[in-house]
Amino acid sequence: MQYHSKQEETRREGEAMERAQQQSSDSILATLSVDLLIQILDRVADPRDRKSWRQVCRGFLLAEALRRRSLRVLRREALQGLLRRYAACLERLDLSACPALDDHALAAALAAGAGLWRLRSVNLSRASGVGWRGLAALAKACPHLEAVDLSHCVGVGDREAAALAAAAGLRELWLDKCLGLTDVGLAKVAVGCPALEMLGIKWCLEISDIGIELLAKKCQNLRVLDISYLKITNRSLQFVSSLGKLEDLSMVGCSHIDDAGLQFLNNGSNSLQSVDVSRCENVTSSGLISVIEGHKYLQNLNIGDCFPELAPLFLSKLNDLRDSLTVLKLDGFQVFAPSLKIIGLNCRNLVEIGLSKCKWVTDEGVSELVAGCVNLMTIDLTCCHLLTNKALAAIGDKCKNLTCLQLESCKLITDKGLDCIGTCCLNLEEIDLTDCTMTNAAMKYLSRCSELKVLKLGLCDKISDEGLVHIASNGKKLRVLDLYRCFEVTDDGLAAIATGCKRIKNLNLCYCTRITDLGLKHLSCLEDLLDLELRGVHYITSLGITAIANGCQHLTELDLKHCHLVDDAGLFALGQYTKNLRQANLSYCQVSSMGLCNLLSSLKCLQDVKLVHLTRVPVEGFESALRASGGRLKKLKLLTGLRHLLSPGLIQMLQAWGCRIRWVDKPLNLVP
Amino acid sequence: MSSGSSRLSISAVVISSLLFVSLSILSSMAEATTKPDEAAVQIVYVERPEAEEPEAFHIRTLAAVLGSEEAAKDAVIYHYKHASSGFSAKLTQSQVEQLSKPNIFGKSHKGLIFVGLGSRVFFRLYLVGPTASMDPGQALLESWGCELTSQERNSDLPNCLKGFYGRSLSSDLMFCVKNSETANRLLEDLVLEKWFSTDSGAKMDFKLRRPLEASSNASSSMMSEISRNLKPGLPFIQCDSTNICYGARQEQSFSEFPPPQVIQSRGLYAREQKTETKSQLEPSSAVNDLVMDWNPRLMLSNLSFLEQKIHQVQDIVRSIISQEGRANELAAQQQLVTADLTYIIIQLISTAGTLLPNIKNALLSATPPVGQPGVMANLPVNASQKQHEVLPMELAKASEYDELIKDLNSGGEGDELIKCLNNSVAEVSESIPIEDHDIKDYDDGLDGENLPPGSYEVLQLEKEEILAPHTHFCLICGKGFKRDANLRMHMRGHGDEYKTPAALAKPSKEASSEPAIIRRYSCPFVGCKRNKEHKKFQPLKTILCVKNHYKRSHCDKSYTCSRCKTKKFSVIADLKTHEKHCGRDKWICSCGTTFSRKDKLFGHVALFQGHAPAIHMDDAKVSGTSDHAQVGETTNGMVANMGYNFSGNASDDAQSLDIKDVDDGQGYFSPMNFDACNFGGLDEFPRSAYDVSESPFSFLSTGTCSFIPRNSEN
Repeated sequence: MQYHSKQEETRREGEAMERAQQQSSDSILATLSVDLLIQILDRVADPRDRKSWRQVCRGFLLAEALRRRSLRVLRREALQGLLRRYAACLERLDLSACPALDDHALAAALAAGAGLWRLRSVNLSRASGVGWRGLAALAKACPHLEAVDLSHCVGVGDREAAALAAAAGLRELWLDKCLGLTDVGLAKVAVGCPALEMLGIKWCLEISDIGIELLAKKCQNLRVLDISYLKITNRSLQFVSSLGKLEDLSMVGCSHIDDAGLQFLNNGSNSLQSVDVSRCENVTSSGLISVIEGHKYLQNLNIGDCFPELAPLFLSKLNDLRDSLTVLKLDGFQVFAPSLKIIGLNCRNLVEIGLSKCKWVTDEGVSELVAGCVNLMTIDLTCCHLLTNKALAAIGDKCKNLTCLQLESCKLITDKGLDCIGTCCLNLEEIDLTDCTMTNAAMKYLSRCSELKVLKLGLCDKISDEGLVHIASNGKKLRVLDLYRCFEVTDDGLAAIATGCKRIKNLNLCYCTRITDLGLKHLSCLEDLLDLELRGVHYITSLGITAIANGCQHLTELDLKHCHLVDDAGLFALGQYTKNLRQANLSYCQVSSMGLCNLLSSLKCLQDVKLVHLTRVPVEGFESALRASGGRLKKLKLLTGLRHLLSPGLIQMLQAWGCRIRWVDKPLNLVP
Repeated sequence: MSSGSSRLSISAVVISSLLFVSLSILSSMAEATTKPDEAAVQIVYVERPEAEEPEAFHIRTLAAVLGSEEAAKDAVIYHYKHASSGFSAKLTQSQVEQLSKPNIFGKSHKGLIFVGLGSRVFFRLYLVGPTASMDPGQALLESWGCELTSQERNSDLPNCLKGFYGRSLSSDLMFCVKNSETANRLLEDLVLEKWFSTDSGAKMDFKLRRPLEASSNASSSMMSEISRNLKPGLPFIQCDSTNICYGARQEQSFSEFPPPQVIQSRGLYAREQKTETKSQLEPSSAVNDLVMDWNPRLMLSNLSFLEQKIHQVQDIVRSIISQEGRANELAAQQQLVTADLTYIIIQLISTAGTLLPNIKNALLSATPPVGQPGVMANLPVNASQKQHEVLPMELAKASEYDELIKDLNSGGEGDELIKCLNNSVAEVSESIPIEDHDIKDYDDGLDGENLPPGSYEVLQLEKEEILAPHTHFCLICGKGFKRDANLRMHMRGHGDEYKTPAALAKPSKEASSEPAIIRRYSCPFVGCKRNKEHKKFQPLKTILCVKNHYKRSHCDKSYTCSRCKTKKFSVIADLKTHEKHCGRDKWICSCGTTFSRKDKLFGHVALFQGHAPAIHMDDAKVSGTSDHAQVGETTNGMVANMGYNFSGNASDDAQSLDIKDVDDGQGYFSPMNFDACNFGGLDEFPRSAYDVSESPFSFLSTGTCSFIPRNSEN
């Protein structure tokens, strides 16, 4: 449903090009024809291998260009050249990570890649600098445009929507949180793009029933519609129900919608497959019953936080969906054992169940549930405090296909429970044990799950290096590791992780206070690391940061808050090596204006930076550093005291570039 | 004589809801004796023939005394046309006396006419002959064995006579009794057959004279005092405000039920029973019985009596034919016929009323001139209880009733009334099947438009009724009002009795216990989709809808916008709405059409392929750049609050609208309300649907109403 292309990143290095040019033309590889090269290329799956391929020679680069269908641009400077090279075959273009993208840059790039004839999908999510001119150019340059993602572009309004409406073939459009969008803009889109199949207008708070009415009248092909958090009433649903092809309807947090509205959906069209009414305060079971009665092939039902208790009638109605229903989310309900038993009996094909923050979920209830739903792959039991090892034993016994298990804050669960999971659920990919009383023994049991990709151990303060060694012993596929406040973890544990789990992307080491530079040096061999959080790790210095910057050059997010010993040297290293760094938190660091200026000017991707309590940076330092950032920043966190000290021109300029400044109301201590 | 009364220049005061008051002059005897030639403002009530224009008749009446029509026109200060017929004029005492002489109008106003009105019965006696020398009212009191001391005032009358208001003119007695028990006792004393069986031109001699004579000697010593007590020179009727019953007084229940037929029946029985005893209480129980159980014997006697009466009228008409020429006599005879026919009609209605206990509510509400306010309040409880058993009978009764009316039709006179009656009968018979339905079916019907044909009652107002500016009239000065509440406020100025909480209270709808009949309205314009003859008839929901629809669709657009000079409206509210945004059309379509409202633009865009709303460039610029940061930061807060901004949610609104619609359906509206004046002047403060539409919720109803016509026009 969500358009978020998963294509690999393009990493283009200037030196690589030069090296490719220097390749001797009589190399054996150069004699292979392009089609053969493409056939070889198809067998190269890994993005890193593909990068190496591009760097071999000009011929290889050409072959790759002909084969490439999607492109994700990380630098604005490269945009034009990349589009020129890939224009012919490109179908999907992701500009969401491209910093400082504005109308001019977009228009120029599109002009450079004139004839982007095959471009079908453009992701401009969070590209807050893009306005109606850029979108008009886009719609003009790409006649086959089918999908556009403008979500979280808070500046997008009616004019932008009108410009976009020129792309008549549009089938997919995401406008989440386009705060300027009103009914008029929506009407423009509805009239201009009658073929629209997917539309997201979540958080577009200006849209009212009138807009929805027109949309439903003009875009009869809509399959996916997200109207979450809108101020719409039942009247909208009356018109939405006229969409005969609607499959997926999300209306999270529509507090004006009630059962009478849901009854409109029971109009015999029988098309809906997924309904999300979570957080709709006025919806009760009777409304949902009417939805179930009207749509027999419902697969996905999310009714979290609607009403407190499950009505028996509703539970028995679930029997109507016994063949189709695969996902059921009941977050925040009072779910007693009998209810879960009925769900287990009625929903045999359930693949995912969400019971997060449900009250009265007991071992008995979970046992009854899994006894019926043996196909469950995802079980969310977050904050089900009453659960003990018995529940895990039942899950392990019945759900052999389990891939995801959320057990956050299930305090009564002990190592023994994980023994069952570790022995029975060998396909487990994700487990959340945050705030559980786990020890190293549990890690030993989990190490049997070789597929594990996500492991969250936050607040499990009994986990020590020994546990990490267990994880590392069979954690080759681990991508996310959360060790938030695991005080016992030391450099040795990190050494084990660094050797065992080479593919880690996200690593959270916040407040693991015993870690030093040595540990970071171990981590520097994690080439895939993208997100590293070191908040409150006091002992690390610029040395450690330098090691990380040198080793983990793909790093995009780094949190150094409260790392009091990190100074300019660390920032210099980051500025030099981690060219992809997009988000940085430098609050409370010992940096000076020099380091800050260097960092903000050299990191071309930096878009989100938090600069609170930099006591050694004077106002002039902030001023020059922010000016040096050159309009790339989209989010900035500063102390309120600076608001009046910084020159108004600078603040205006930042805002004109689409930067949102968050002012933190704390006392300001500046160097004189 | 008291000096207080001599100071009064306007000697006539309040009269409530009075029908058929023949000529009666409210003069001050005291003044007459002291200052016979001084002119003072007098209010003169006259019994006006149906056919005549009130003003012309007043002038003609006065001209007979003053000499010329011009003089009469000058003398008249105000014409009372609506509630009762009469005028106020500056007259000297001698002129008053001249006016009050019965022979001005010949023989016509001799007779007894009594009209039941809620809890009271009005009597009008014309006394001729020896009784003229004494106060007949006092004599009547004496004859009942009641003694009035000089200290007693009207309001302190003994219980049995409470509400007896009497006053004699030179030879007439006009009085009013409060409850039917008293009325019955009166009627037993007054032998009525003489009144109706003898030639109305003949002299009155009735048995009342006997008790009068018997008591006259005994009471002669008290006479002067008592006559002063009764204030012979003052208005002949003094209404106690507590007796002005708008129908809200539940406790009076059945004893006050429908006086006309009760009195009539007692009157008829009086012939047979010859009851002489005066301390009987059984009549009141008999009244109750009469109400509860219909007596076919009584009905038969009623009808035969009416037959007799009709024959009398026929005789008079024949005599008119035979003695052509003499204009004076002709006019007098015409009046006589009119009076008789009116009486017959009333009798018919009341007779029919006993027949149809269940439909009576609808009937009476539909025929306010005949109905009694009290009845509406009191009937429903019992009626609804008995409803189911009586239902099959009703159909037969209704048709019988219809025939009766048709019979009457052949009588010739009173077309207006008969037409109205027919209307009401039609409504009644239409309403009968509705009572079979389970009304709950409609309770939750959010959309009244989906009512299946036949499940609701259709009313059709005439054009004049729709366009009438006022629907409520003051019974005293005749001033018209749009709202009942305004009328009540106005009434306060007429005396303290209108200031009581009971008088000021909004007439409550007691029909809540009774299932609501869904009432819809038809437009009188034939060919209109809202007309009930139309194939795809779409009824109008409320009276206000009818008014607005008729004005918008079938009337000239007389209001022009003062700003743009082009837009015209027939409903003033539309003009006001337009003027609010005139010249500020901000919603523009890509085709260039401008709209003042967003939903109109979107409706237009939805209708036409390829049209899209145009965007204001200025607005877009502003929204494009400013406040991004702030908007973004506050978003979370906004959303958190969003849900609570509209705590009164849509369903609540819908409910309130719904309830109101039901209310409209129950509104005691009938097409006859507007005819009330023509008929005779009994205005029972019609509690029509206007009450509802002009209540504080009126804006809601406007909303709903205006929605319907729009649909139809599209």
